[in-house]
Amino acid sequence: MVKKNNPKIILTLFSIIVGIFIATQIKMKLEIYAPVTVKSLQMTKAEIASINNKISELNKIIKLKEEELELLENIAKGDDNIIDILQQDIKYNKLHSGQTSLKGPGIIITMYDNPEDRTIGFDLNDDVIHDIDILNIINDLRIAGAEAISINGERVIATSEIKCAGPTIRINGRSSATPFVIKAIGDPKLLYASVNAPGTYGDILKIYDIGFETTVEDSLFIPAYTGVFNFKYAKPLGKGD
Amino acid sequence: MIKLFFALIGILIGAIIGFILPFTYNTSYSLYISVAILACLDSVFGGIRSNLENNFNINIFISGFFGNAALAAFLAYLGDRLGVPLYYAAIFTFGGRLFENFAKIRRNLLFKRKESK
Repeated sequence: MVKKNNPKIILTLFSIIVGIFIATQIKMKLEIYAPVTVKSLQMTKAEIASINNKISELNKIIKLKEEELELLENIAKGDDNIIDILQQDIKYNKLHSGQTSLKGPGIIITMYDNPEDRTIGFDLNDDVIHDIDILNIINDLRIAGAEAISINGERVIATSEIKCAGPTIRINGRSSATPFVIKAIGDPKLLYASVNAPGTYGDILKIYDIGFETTVEDSLFIPAYTGVFNFKYAKPLGKGD
Repeated sequence: MIKLFFALIGILIGAIIGFILPFTYNTSYSLYISVAILACLDSVFGGIRSNLENNFNINIFISGFFGNAALAAFLAYLGDRLGVPLYYAAIFTFGGRLFENFAKIRRNLLFKRKESK
């Protein structure tokens, strides 16, 4: 009798267990049945981080605008002289457009063509400095946070071209020849590392026996951009600041 | 028919107990548990079928009940780690077998009734 009833009792018992689990699962009121994978967790985390970044950036902008508003209110009240403020503005804009001479710590890079008689490889072009070499070095310097750069006394600004012109290189419409002296103001250690660390472009140039010397300077002088800005096609959009 | 109903009654009793009990678990385990539930349901259906066919074995039933549930949950977990939805394997297997078992139960019950008539 007991043996005969066994299956039913056991089945009922285990059915109860299944029922308990089903009920608990229903109780959880799961709205999303998609599984939470590690990947989706990471994606959500990255999303949250980027949104938080945006928020902090917006907060910074709010602060800036509030300061501006305060300034304008002061002008309206007559506490500050508008001419002083505008002159400060001009100074600030000139500094950022490269129209002021600058002084500060940085590095000097001297680059010259392969001075040896023997050449590396078969192509003579490998022993000569090209515009692309200078461009890559300048890009590396900018990545390392260079605030001002000059090549052979020519200030490099946003619109400066660096163009191959036969044996010379044209910068800001003026030709200069080797040796090229690149001056950069910024964190000297970072700048030095950006062109001398193994694997950087400057390091690769040395393999080709191209002269590449870097010196760290406490005080560098970088001249102002002397050209004239002449925008023919670009027109400012909106009111601006 | 009574032979089929005790499982349903059991599930109902269990559901009531489950609703009354304050016991809950972490939401992140819900996928594993639901796959395990499917495996358990399949085992119960299999048990009913074998009971109707009079070849019910307690050891096979219990080992299948817990083993299938554990394996299904483990597959779901492993799939999560590997980034491949392995729990599909459990869903298809146990889901398919569930219907298979149910079909056999139906036939068993219907034919028996015919014979008794």
